[in-house]
This record gives sequence, C-alpha cells and structure tokens, in this order.
Amino acid sequence: MNSPQRLVYSALTIAEMEARKLHHDSSELWMRAVQPALWLLIFGEVFNAVRGLSPGGFSYMQYIAPGVLAQSVLFVAIFYGITIVWERDVGLLTKLLSTPSPRIAVVVGKALAAGVRGVFQGVMIFALALIIGVNLRFDPLDVAGVFLVVVLFAMCFASLSMTLASFLKTRDRMMGIGQAITIPLFFGSNAIYPVSLMPAWLQAISAYNPLSYVVDAMRAMLLTGDYSGLPLDIFALLLSTAIFVGAASVVLKRLIE
Amino acid sequence: MKAIEARSLTKVYPGGTKAVDDVSFDVEEGEIFGLLGPNGAGKTTTIKMITTLAKPTSGSASVFGVDAGSSPEQVRQMLGFVPQAISVDGDLSGYENLLIFAKLFFVPREQRKTRISEALEYFGLTDRANDLVKHYSGGMMRRLEIAQALVNRPRLLFLDEPSIGLDPYSRMQVIKQVKDLNQNFGTTIFVTTHDMNEADELCDRLAIMNLGKIAVSGSPAELKRSVGGDVLTVSVSGRLPDSIPKELGSRISSEGGVLKILTEDGERAIPRITDYLEANGTVVESVSLSRPTLDDVFMKYAKVGLTQEMSFREARSARRSIVRHGR
Repeated sequence: MNSPQRLVYSALTIAEMEARKLHHDSSELWMRAVQPALWLLIFGEVFNAVRGLSPGGFSYMQYIAPGVLAQSVLFVAIFYGITIVWERDVGLLTKLLSTPSPRIAVVVGKALAAGVRGVFQGVMIFALALIIGVNLRFDPLDVAGVFLVVVLFAMCFASLSMTLASFLKTRDRMMGIGQAITIPLFFGSNAIYPVSLMPAWLQAISAYNPLSYVVDAMRAMLLTGDYSGLPLDIFALLLSTAIFVGAASVVLKRLIE
Repeated sequence: MKAIEARSLTKVYPGGTKAVDDVSFDVEEGEIFGLLGPNGAGKTTTIKMITTLAKPTSGSASVFGVDAGSSPEQVRQMLGFVPQAISVDGDLSGYENLLIFAKLFFVPREQRKTRISEALEYFGLTDRANDLVKHYSGGMMRRLEIAQALVNRPRLLFLDEPSIGLDPYSRMQVIKQVKDLNQNFGTTIFVTTHDMNEADELCDRLAIMNLGKIAVSGSPAELKRSVGGDVLTVSVSGRLPDSIPKELGSRISSEGGVLKILTEDGERAIPRITDYLEANGTVVESVSLSRPTLDDVFMKYAKVGLTQEMSFREARSARRSIVRHGR
C-alpha cells in the first residue's frame, strides 16, 4: 500500500473500531437522542405560539428542526476530546499511536466516528419530525446533502475538541471548555431564532459563527430549497475541517508525552 | 545487526525534569533485554523515545538500523508495544481487538484470520474470543496483549512491566509465553520490570537504570558476581582454623562458633570446606549457603533513587497502574 492508501485504510479501521463498539452497546446513541427530542417537543411546541420567530412563512417547529439537528451534532462532536483523554488514561491512545498507522488517520478515524453518531442524530430527528408532523422537504438528494453537512460538521468540531484536549489534558477541563464553547455558539447562532432579532453587536459576532453557516445550509436543503448560499457554507465547512484535522494530528502526541 | 542502538538519549521535560540523561546502549537481535530500575528512573520515557512516542531532547535511537527520528512509521512497523497500563479495548471482544490492531499494522488480509485464530488458540482465549474484553480477568487481558504480537509478528517487542498486578500463575504463563515468542519467532524482546526474579528468569542481558542514567549492565550472572560471590555460613564446634586456603575462599568473619566464608561457587565449595575443617580438627555442625540475587544488585546500583521520596504524582500513577491491573 502507498501512503494515501494506508491513511484511508487506517482511518476506516479506526472508524470501524468505533462502529463495532456502538454495535455492542448502542444505548449511548438512544440517550443522546433524548435532548434534541425535548428541544423539539417542549421548546418547539411552546415557542410555536410566538409570532415573528420564524421568518419566511414557516412554522416555528419547521424553523428550529434544522437548528436542533445542528446543535445536537455539535454536542456529540465537542465532547470527543473527553473520549480521547479517557483513552489516553486507560492506555489505549498509547497503543493506537504506537501502530505504524499515520497519526492523522487516528484523528480522521475518530472524527468520522463522530460523523456516524451525528448521522444517527439526524435519522432520529427526521423520524421524530415525521411522527409529529413537522413538514420538511424529504427529497433524497437534500437528505443526503444534509447528512454530508452533518458528517463534515461533526468531523470539524470533533477535531477541534481533540486539538483542545491535547493542550488541556484532563476530562474535567474538557467538560468545562465544552460547555464554554457550545452554549455561546448555540445561543449566538440562528439555530433557534433569526439573527435579525439579535442586538447589533451579537449579529456581528454571529456572522463568524460556524454553527450559523451549518444551520443555514441545512435550512436551505430542508426548508427553502434556495441553494444560493450553499457553496459558501460548504466551502467554509471543508476549510475549517481540514484546518482542525491537521492541527489535531500535529498536537495529539502531546497527550502521551 | 543491532535491534536497538541508543546513542546519548536525553529527555528533558518542560519544567526542567531530566527524565533520561545521556543514555546509550545496544540490544542485540534475538535477545531478551531487561531494563530495570526504581519508579521514576526513566525506563518508560526511554521506551517512548525508541518507539517514537516521544521525541528525544537530544541523542538518537535506531531500530534495526532505521532512525526513529527520521522514519517513525517505518520503525513502528517493526515494533510491538505492550504498555504498562492494560491497553486492550474493553468495549470490544478479544477477537475484535486482535482484528483491529492487525489492520492498523497492515497485516496482509490473507494471513489475518489464520494468525488471529492461532494466537487465540495458543493463548487459551478461543472460548472467550467473542466476549467483551471488559469481562476478562487481568491475566487474560495481558495474554491478549501479548497474543497481538503473535498476530502482528513484530521483530522487536516492548513489554513495559508485563506482570505487574498479576497473580503468580498468570505471571508464570506470561513469562513462559514471552520466552516462547523469543525462541520460536526470534522476536527480540525489550522488557522493563521491578521484579528481580522475573528479570533473572527472563533476560539474557540487563541494564539497571537509576535517576535517568544506566548504572550498570551485563548478564544476570555477571551482575550477581559484581556484588560479590556466594557466602557460606558454617556453624562449628571445637578449634577454629587460623586461616583457610585461598583456593577455598576467603574468611569474612569468625565469631561465636560461626564462620563466614566468601567463595566463587558455593555449592562446590561446601564439601571441600567441610573436608578441610574436619581434617583440621573442627567439627562442622551445619552449613548454609546464600547467593547474591538480583535484589542485591538492584539495591547496590539503584539505592540512591530508592531513598529519595516518591513525588505525589509518581506515587499516584504507580498506584493507578496497580489498581488498573488488579481489576
């Protein structure tokens, strides 16, 4: 095998390792689906009564479904650093890094596994939307596009989280930083209310919020069918994923030194 | 060809701790080499530098002639590493653990299945192959880790404290299997341990490390000789001889009817000394022989380190690894 083949092969092996664990015990996936379900069922239902929260003639439930999906993927991905710290603590990371597989493959493999978990969140949220009658455009190509965005987004934040873990090194700190990142990203984005309702300073910040671009892309595919912003959204996502995957594979060895 | 050539390896951690200080040694192909030393002596850091998990601050290491600094992936392809902490994945089955790591070592697909089933069979894990590893005993986990070496067939296998926390039976099995691996596949073995009996049983050659430096190295027999020969303690009654012939040994002390003699080969010296004493009118009541052990060697060369207090962090990590192995 040449080096690109080795990279792809080992990254897929790492992802396979995670998939096999999920196969043995999938309870984690079901539990993770509870939170987005509550957002839709409780938060969504209540705020459905408020006018002006959902522009473009959509119901509030329709409006926040993509936002809740993006948020739940963000939550799955941002805590990947905790997993990697835990694997360091039990000696598994040392073993992974002592294989001849390239280090970037470990990062890409773990990030892909975050993507798989994200896709499962997507499936659950779509299923719930169908059950409670939230009308989304379930065009196969659009759904595939949403899953692509989900995978990229999960990979991006899982790698960011692994990068941070390489510096912070303990699970407690990762818990703290995870919350410190997700909450402002979530409330400072267009996930559950339009940016136009925010004060000017927050709108300015939101323009740089990656979550807003992800939600934007998902809304385009699931609600409006207006793809004009999509190339920029996906380009921004690809670029930041590449940056964070690269960063994580360079600094990951700090965890075991 | 040398399996390992370490040249002036030095590792200084941020904060100025010199974990490894100008360490040079060779490991010959096909031998079992032991690195001994107290906690915090720098053994694990040395292994990490050779296995490319840590970058040396200065100095170099090469494995079968390949430089660890410039071609890390090529070096890792030749290595197996069983770290101190049990590093199998508890959430996967035994079979899956072997499968995943065989893939990460690029073991050819057509050999994978046979090697895995052979390894499971040989290490007595076939019955439990599809159980999750978290339900294994500590000894079984350790065996699974060594079984990995049978699947990946590394030329050089690192074992960091392989028998820590194992019961005597599991320990014996691990030692036997490591020896088999060495004899049947010519795998060069690099092992660290605090257990002197284990080192004596296992190693062809060993080095004792203390405070980041290699204090002494040689075969177990050479090292034991270096702390002195065998000591005979003879209880006698009647007249004690003024001296004993040089070829029998040298007298260390004689008081209260107890004569202590230092000799080269104690077992052979017993009848000769008894004969000599009886011929000179001394009645021999009992003779006991004590031989230097690697413990004596360890105490002599590693004492400086042992008398220093262990830091909280070291104590904690030592305890943790014991707890982890004991489960």
